[in-house]
Amino acid sequence: MPIDVIGRTFIIGLGIGCIFALIAMGLNLLWGTMRLLNVAHGDLIMLGAYTGYWLFILYEISPFRSAFIAALVCAGIGLIVYKILFAKSLRKVASLETLEANSLLIFFGFGMIIESVVSLLWGANVRAYSYLTNNVRLISISIGLNRLLSALIAIVGCLLLYTYLQKSFFGKAVRAVIQDKDAAELMGIDTRKIYIFCFMTAFGLAGFTGGLLSMLYAFTPFSGFSYTIYAFIVIILGGLGNLLGTLIGGLILGLIITFGVSLTTPGYGFIIMYLMFILVILLMPAGILGKAIR
Amino acid sequence: MRKRLKLILIPVLLFLFTIPFYGSAYTIGLLIALLMYSILAVSWNIFSGYTRYISLATAAFFGIGSYVPVLGWPELPFPVLVILGGVASSVFAFGVGFPCLRIRGPYFVILTLGLSELTKYIFVSYEINFRGMIGTHLLGGPSMEAFYYWLLAIAIIVILVDHFIRQSKFGLALSSIGGDEEAAEAMGVNTTRYKLLGFGISALFAGSVGAIIAFRWTYIEPTGAFNPSLTLQVIIMAIFGGTKDFRGPVLGAFTLTLVSEALGIRFPYYYTIILGLILILVIKFFPNGLLETIEKLVRSNTWETQNVRI
Repeated sequence: MPIDVIGRTFIIGLGIGCIFALIAMGLNLLWGTMRLLNVAHGDLIMLGAYTGYWLFILYEISPFRSAFIAALVCAGIGLIVYKILFAKSLRKVASLETLEANSLLIFFGFGMIIESVVSLLWGANVRAYSYLTNNVRLISISIGLNRLLSALIAIVGCLLLYTYLQKSFFGKAVRAVIQDKDAAELMGIDTRKIYIFCFMTAFGLAGFTGGLLSMLYAFTPFSGFSYTIYAFIVIILGGLGNLLGTLIGGLILGLIITFGVSLTTPGYGFIIMYLMFILVILLMPAGILGKAIR
Repeated sequence: MRKRLKLILIPVLLFLFTIPFYGSAYTIGLLIALLMYSILAVSWNIFSGYTRYISLATAAFFGIGSYVPVLGWPELPFPVLVILGGVASSVFAFGVGFPCLRIRGPYFVILTLGLSELTKYIFVSYEINFRGMIGTHLLGGPSMEAFYYWLLAIAIIVILVDHFIRQSKFGLALSSIGGDEEAAEAMGVNTTRYKLLGFGISALFAGSVGAIIAFRWTYIEPTGAFNPSLTLQVIIMAIFGGTKDFRGPVLGAFTLTLVSEALGIRFPYYYTIILGLILILVIKFFPNGLLETIEKLVRSNTWETQNVRI
């Protein structure tokens, strides 16, 4: 592999990695804090992508703006889902295992509903549009402006969320709930508020990600599942509940997939991805940083 | 109690064995679907229901079983392919189970999901790279009646196997893993061996069903054979019915197949939405399954129960 190809692959891999990190961020927030296995996360991303798509097609709103609208829509859904399905059951948790298993099934049903409603409303055909596709040159590498900008937004978004949770008082309260819910409650933290915050942020992030993705990749009502899988891989790579790990995990996954595909044929992309997924769970379930909370 | 059981069982079996002689093609088709889902749900329950290791590998077991006829038909006869389908799946389960069954909780759930998808894409790339096309037609297979009797036989076997497992030390070991694995290990239960055996048995039945259904579908391609929504349907059925013994999954498979058949005819576009709603409602309101809810209702209305349970 010549050096300029390696450089190019590296940059593209990092760009995709930033997006992967953003895809996983919301899910890690929900899974890490509340132990809710949101398998519908990808479906919410898909919903965000449709929001971005329609706003662009019908009103020509730039995806960089409509991503925020998609975030608001999904955050609203998050609030409703929390109120109806989880507010009561989270107060009297029998055990973490039952909570995780039950939330998995509930979210699966929820994702199924989103998928069927979307395909009923707008059909199952592939959707895509092009926006800012002109190339810019970065040193000696040319890259699509939309890809460059969304990668930058993704990495800034991840870092902002991370610093907010790290530095602000409210963020510290969220992390306290991640570490020990009962102790946090005894210290006077209103866990209900934290839960609502996590639900709305996680769902909103999914919507935001979807809005950005809508201009990069084609999607169908059934694309959600593969986003969920990407998010799981990134979270496990970076460690459950570890948001900085998620950012690093996303970058690593982006690099591995881009290099894996460019070294073999594109048909092997999925095989490499799932193989890596399985190996990571088997060999380092605590993540590459080894600081997962369990 | 035994007498009452016989009184119900004999007419039911008589009905099931004679239906191909007077039932319509539609009835037999529906019964084939009912038997397929019952077998898959009971076999899922043998491992996952008792050990509480929620496995999403059913699609992989089913898919591997359904690819055995693709490779062996028409050189090998149908019965041999059905058995080989089960054996191939079982071998796969033993192979991957050895490393995977050490992982617990939600990690195990998504691990088996990834495993299922990985096998799917391996078959996709096998078809693209080595055969040059995706999908295979399986023509000249046996009749609908043959599928039906084979599935009926496998259903009876899987129920008997489940029944014997529950009464044996093996069943106790599986349940003790579901209760508290560390405690079971401390009491001297070889948990690895039992988990592996349970996983393998579960795969055996799913694989043989896959081989039969491949002939019923007559066209096999990886995304259909390794469909993750099959896994989830089966799990929903088992949990919906109740995971205590084989009756729950059978009840769940029958109810949900009939409900989605009825809904699919009346509201073909809305039925997945309704199915999703049913799933959410069941988990919220009957987390222990339909069977237990019914039993509770029956128990509160009869005399004999008062001294049975405290």
